[in-house]
Amino acid sequence: MDRNYHVFSDGRIERTDDTVRVVTDDGEKKYVPIENAEALFLHGQIDFNTRLVSFLNKQGVAMHVFGWEDYYAGSIMPKRGQTSGRTVVSQVRAYDDTDHRRQLAAAIVSGSIHNMRTNAVYYDGRGRNLETEITDLEAATERVADDLPVDELMGIEATARKAYYRTFNEILPDEFRLSRREYNPPPNEINSLISFGNSLVYANCVSAIRATALDPTISYLHEPGERRYSLSLDLADLFKPVLADRVLFRLVNRGQLTRDDFETELGSCLLNERGRQTYSKAFEETLERTVDHPQLNRNVSYQYLLRLEAYKLKKHLLTGEPYEPFKRWW
Amino acid sequence: MTDVDPVIRLLETARGNPVDEPFRVTGVMMQYYHVCERELWFESRNLEIDRENPTVVRGTRVDDTAYGEKRRNLHMGMISLDLLEDGRVVEVKPSSRLTEPARMQLSYYLWYLERVAGIEKDGVLAHPRERKREPVELTDERRATVEAAVRGIHETVTRETPPPAEEKPFCDSCAYHDFCWC
Ligand code: SF4
Repeated sequence: MDRNYHVFSDGRIERTDDTVRVVTDDGEKKYVPIENAEALFLHGQIDFNTRLVSFLNKQGVAMHVFGWEDYYAGSIMPKRGQTSGRTVVSQVRAYDDTDHRRQLAAAIVSGSIHNMRTNAVYYDGRGRNLETEITDLEAATERVADDLPVDELMGIEATARKAYYRTFNEILPDEFRLSRREYNPPPNEINSLISFGNSLVYANCVSAIRATALDPTISYLHEPGERRYSLSLDLADLFKPVLADRVLFRLVNRGQLTRDDFETELGSCLLNERGRQTYSKAFEETLERTVDHPQLNRNVSYQYLLRLEAYKLKKHLLTGEPYEPFKRWW
Repeated sequence: MTDVDPVIRLLETARGNPVDEPFRVTGVMMQYYHVCERELWFESRNLEIDRENPTVVRGTRVDDTAYGEKRRNLHMGMISLDLLEDGRVVEVKPSSRLTEPARMQLSYYLWYLERVAGIEKDGVLAHPRERKREPVELTDERRATVEAAVRGIHETVTRETPPPAEEKPFCDSCAYHDFCWC
């Protein structure tokens, strides 16, 4: 599986012959090993031109741009190597068929609650008292049913997420309290970390979907077009607890991220360059972790699990074989 | 018109006047039919194969570098085959486990040339790893096997759903492996 490359400094990213290099504002040059890159993540103020974009397109490498406010700004995606009309048709059919859409939305919600619960149970086992939240999450799971309207499923997910976010206050040290979840721009450290982590999960789902010829704009739980790649929002929900939140808990609890890693101004609080570097490094390490996959009979990386999720959905849509959402099994 | 014999449908498609919908069988489809029908079904739907899969890369490499001799590639409608300088059709067999599928693929080319273009050719199955060659001739028995396979392929690819996954000796090297089992 190819790697992500993050660029944090300000400067310029350009093509030189058959390589890509970053020239920082203070004149330093760094080369990006483009042959084994899955995607580039730009975090600083970085200029680029169309020559670079065509080159990345040819190399099949995506570029995700992270700005300020809610972090994710957009992606420059390579043209898909193969498009598949049949795949898109099957995606639209499932969306248009009320029962089918509900069924997929319910699967995503149940997987997502399962993965939130797994985190709660893990920290409960490490001395935090999270029984109430676990009970709330279980109650939410029981309400999920295949035939519920999508907005009701959304509501159940929201209730579960609320209970889940309450666990953050138990899991994290006091100075990192989460009073409530707020977005663009996030008003405090924890909101900011959640937003940053979620946008990394989201961008990685965009890359995973691209590898499958699924149309990233046709989704089931989220309304298509809610964001540009709404199918990524669907898949990201399943992986946020496993990827983003675990990284967050670890870094904050070990004191690897402190208040000094944030910039606060006018009611917003955002990770600074050093904070983003620390978080992204831990996040990439998590993506490279492996786990034994019972069906494939081998170890696969967490990053590959995203790809498999896209495969699973595509297989379901094209073959009618059941879709089982990703539920952490280890 | 769905009761038209698939063999006729294929031949009419090759001649440019398909009976209702075109029906094509490529060499790879003929091979997959003998390896795994689920793989054939996936292939018929143009499902993406995983280009990062190391086996796929390996398979291509054997094919490209086997023997130094000159080969000519010939495209003809739904098939694309390699001709040796002496005019025989050659098919490279990547592994000893795939002998029968490769033999069927070659027989299909010979049958196709005969039925569509009226050209009679002999074939040779090349085993680069074992430095062996096996002549393949289109006998009446082989003609019948090819036609039975064409009918079988038609049945598989017109199914709404693929045959269920079943562990096979080829699964490990199958390009659809992860897609199939995930
Ligand atoms: S993995 Fe095995 S069962 Fe699946 S398509 Fe390939 S050969 Fe057939």
